[in-house]
Amino acid sequence: MTPPLLSVRNLAINFGGVQAVRDVSFDVVEGSITGLIGPNGAGKSSVLAIVSGFLSPKSGSVTFDGNEVSGQAPFRLARLGLVRTFQLSSEFERLSVIENLLVAAPGQSGERLRDALAGRWRWRDQEAASIERARGLLDRFEIPAKEDDVAGDLSGGQKRLLELARALMAEPKLLLLDEPMAGVNPALIRRIESHLLALRDEGLSMLMVEHELGVVERLCDPVIVMAQGQVLSSGTMAELRTNQEVLDAYLAG
Amino acid sequence: MNIYVLSLGFGLITASILAIASVGFTLQFGVTNVLNLAYGDVMTGAAFVAYLVTKAGGGLAEALVAGAGSGAVASYGLNRLVYTPFVRRGTRLFGMIIVTISVSLVVQNGLQAIFKATFFSLSLPRPSSYTFAGMIFTSQQLVIIGLAVVAMVLVHALLSWTKLGRAMRATAADPELARSCGIATDRVIDVAWLLSGALCGTAGVTLALNVSSFTSTTGGQFLIPVIAAAVLGGVGHPYGAMIGAVVIGLSSELSASVISPDYKEVVAFIILIVVLLIRPQGIFSEVATQKEVAV
Amino acid sequence: MSSSMQFYVSNLLVYLGVDVMACLGLNLQFGVAGLINFAFIVFQAAGAYTAAVLTLGPSTAMGGFQSYIIGAHLPFPLPFLAAAVVGGALSLLVGLVALRRLRSDYQAMVMLVISLIATTVVTNATGLFNGSNGLALIPQPLKSTLGLSPVGYQWAYVVITFVCTILVWVVVRRITGSPLGRALRAVRDNDAAAAALGKNVTQLRLVAFVTGGAIAGLSGAVLAQFITAWSPGSWLFPESFVYFAAIIVGGSGNNLGAIVGAALVPVAFLEATRYIPQFGYPGLVDALQWVVVGLLTLTVMWFRPRGVFPERPQRFARPPGHGTETKT
Repeated sequence: MTPPLLSVRNLAINFGGVQAVRDVSFDVVEGSITGLIGPNGAGKSSVLAIVSGFLSPKSGSVTFDGNEVSGQAPFRLARLGLVRTFQLSSEFERLSVIENLLVAAPGQSGERLRDALAGRWRWRDQEAASIERARGLLDRFEIPAKEDDVAGDLSGGQKRLLELARALMAEPKLLLLDEPMAGVNPALIRRIESHLLALRDEGLSMLMVEHELGVVERLCDPVIVMAQGQVLSSGTMAELRTNQEVLDAYLAG
Repeated sequence: MNIYVLSLGFGLITASILAIASVGFTLQFGVTNVLNLAYGDVMTGAAFVAYLVTKAGGGLAEALVAGAGSGAVASYGLNRLVYTPFVRRGTRLFGMIIVTISVSLVVQNGLQAIFKATFFSLSLPRPSSYTFAGMIFTSQQLVIIGLAVVAMVLVHALLSWTKLGRAMRATAADPELARSCGIATDRVIDVAWLLSGALCGTAGVTLALNVSSFTSTTGGQFLIPVIAAAVLGGVGHPYGAMIGAVVIGLSSELSASVISPDYKEVVAFIILIVVLLIRPQGIFSEVATQKEVAV
Repeated sequence: MSSSMQFYVSNLLVYLGVDVMACLGLNLQFGVAGLINFAFIVFQAAGAYTAAVLTLGPSTAMGGFQSYIIGAHLPFPLPFLAAAVVGGALSLLVGLVALRRLRSDYQAMVMLVISLIATTVVTNATGLFNGSNGLALIPQPLKSTLGLSPVGYQWAYVVITFVCTILVWVVVRRITGSPLGRALRAVRDNDAAAAALGKNVTQLRLVAFVTGGAIAGLSGAVLAQFITAWSPGSWLFPESFVYFAAIIVGGSGNNLGAIVGAALVPVAFLEATRYIPQFGYPGLVDALQWVVVGLLTLTVMWFRPRGVFPERPQRFARPPGHGTETKT
């Protein structure tokens, strides 16, 4: 049995006296789309923020790909292959569509001052390879915008696709999706779903926080349910639908 | 011991002027979320109006009323004609700083163009001096302290007991919510700027009264201590501004006596920077709101 | 060209070079990286003072009429290099302490106050750089080596300035046209997203801040050794605002915009009009200039906030065989 890609143990954090997360533990197995659901205030966003490095837990540990990473800065986690997306639009609004993707390419020597000052010849080849990969992603996701369009001018749905493509450009091993379908129209939801399934089949693992339970049912296995800062249960959506505790939590929360 | 008590006296006067000014400043910030860096120059404008009034034979009372009035009108006009249009156009926080500084440049140098770079004094009869427990005050300075106390009481009464005051607090806390509760936020904001402008103008006149002579840059130079007092108490919180004014007023006068008069203003600078870097929401706010953290 | 005309033109060209350098540096910090450096002028001043104290020689010489630290007779181009290093080092220090995740107007206030503190300290600690009187009789680079007439030396200085400006231009162009420039702009637009994609936001910001500071320092050295004097009056806070106004008018985030802005605001408005006849009383023209700067900034902020030359994303060539078809 290979160890899980992501392992979260006894996470806890509080904000001004409120225990947002208390003793949360779960695993994400490689090659799965794991769902994280729960009523409002359950602590899902806090867990996501801790796992991606944007918050430091009061206690507990996060192990990713064999590395103990709790408390490390987000950029270090990203460089290890843990990439997250955001609930609200987070495109680089003054950059073009293709520039948004190119930024995400990892390990660019042209981002170091020394190589930038030395001149184009130092990073030209890397850049050409990145451009090709970016164009490939734009084709694959069929984002209906020109690569030179300014990202801030795109519609909400186009931005969602752009951010997904951008996250992939970063060559993630684990993708943390923060409510990827929030505010997205049903037709686009289906398109994104098929993209995510295809990515999973290619070996990308995902942890998804999502409110749309239909999406969760179609995509996620297993699904972890949180309420009031703790993990209630986990399993397939079918199993969870018959779990009384889970039902109570949703009705109460 | 004597010199400390003396500076305590000076500190009280400075704190009084600061209190009037910073409460006005913080009220403007509270309702519009804009750091009005032209505030000091509106103070200078009021000082010049007071100067003209006293030169024409008016006394202190007339000068104060005229100054307060000019401050009110100027502030109201600034908000209606410049700031609100820019905000409606989508200008964000740093853009508004550029706008307010531009206004400051226009007002300050406009005043200098009109009045030249010379120094002026209010034409008032020499005041008599009183001694209280080792502190020396002129009658004019006692008026300043009295004015500050009266102004603070009036502001407190307004905010706590009147419908307008409650509307102002609601608008400052959450304009959307206030509007949906039926509060005419535009009207409230207008009144807030008129009132805070009156405070600004009054502060400008008292500042001119307290320094031996003033010029077109005097108000602008006073702006940093004003902002320091407002930020220390939590921008948008009038009671915090009052306390901030006392802290800054006293500490700058004390340090002027103890360390060196040259570094008097540095106290305000350092307090402002330290607060912004360590606790931008000020001493009296519980939680750093989204307002203070990078947006 | 008459001699006085040559002086006028060469003066303008040196000021233009200095202001172009400064605007390119500030544009890197603010336009590209989004850092609100309202204390920019302090770094230009640091470079100016550095060049001055490294060329003036010991302060005790010449009867000790001005007091300052260090005091050496370094030959050109060492003072210029040192000025850039000092500008960069000071930027590193200030950047580490004062660049925070603050709302942008608070960040502006922090830097503004730093500028005021710097002015107060230098003015009062007279042993540092001779206080409010400042430093005078600053030696000029290669003056005796070249042995030219006064007018001739003016033009030589124009060449020196031009070379420095070209150097700064190359540095800034290489940064902005590279993946580093793109990463800086990404951090400016959304630093959380940039971090989530593996960018070290703090390090990137410091790179931009320090490089911009080094450029500021160099521009200060060029200016100070040209006018042979430097005092606190040369670097009050409004000078930073002038540079901000320049890049806003010209186009923030665009190098060409920074150059155009430099030509329009600090040069055309402030330097060129220095030579128009002084009407009214002395000082009226200066006061009105500032009024115009304020009004101009407001006008541009209203009608064309992105400036004359707005920022444009980089375009990438397509290999032959690809059309530019719109995807549907």
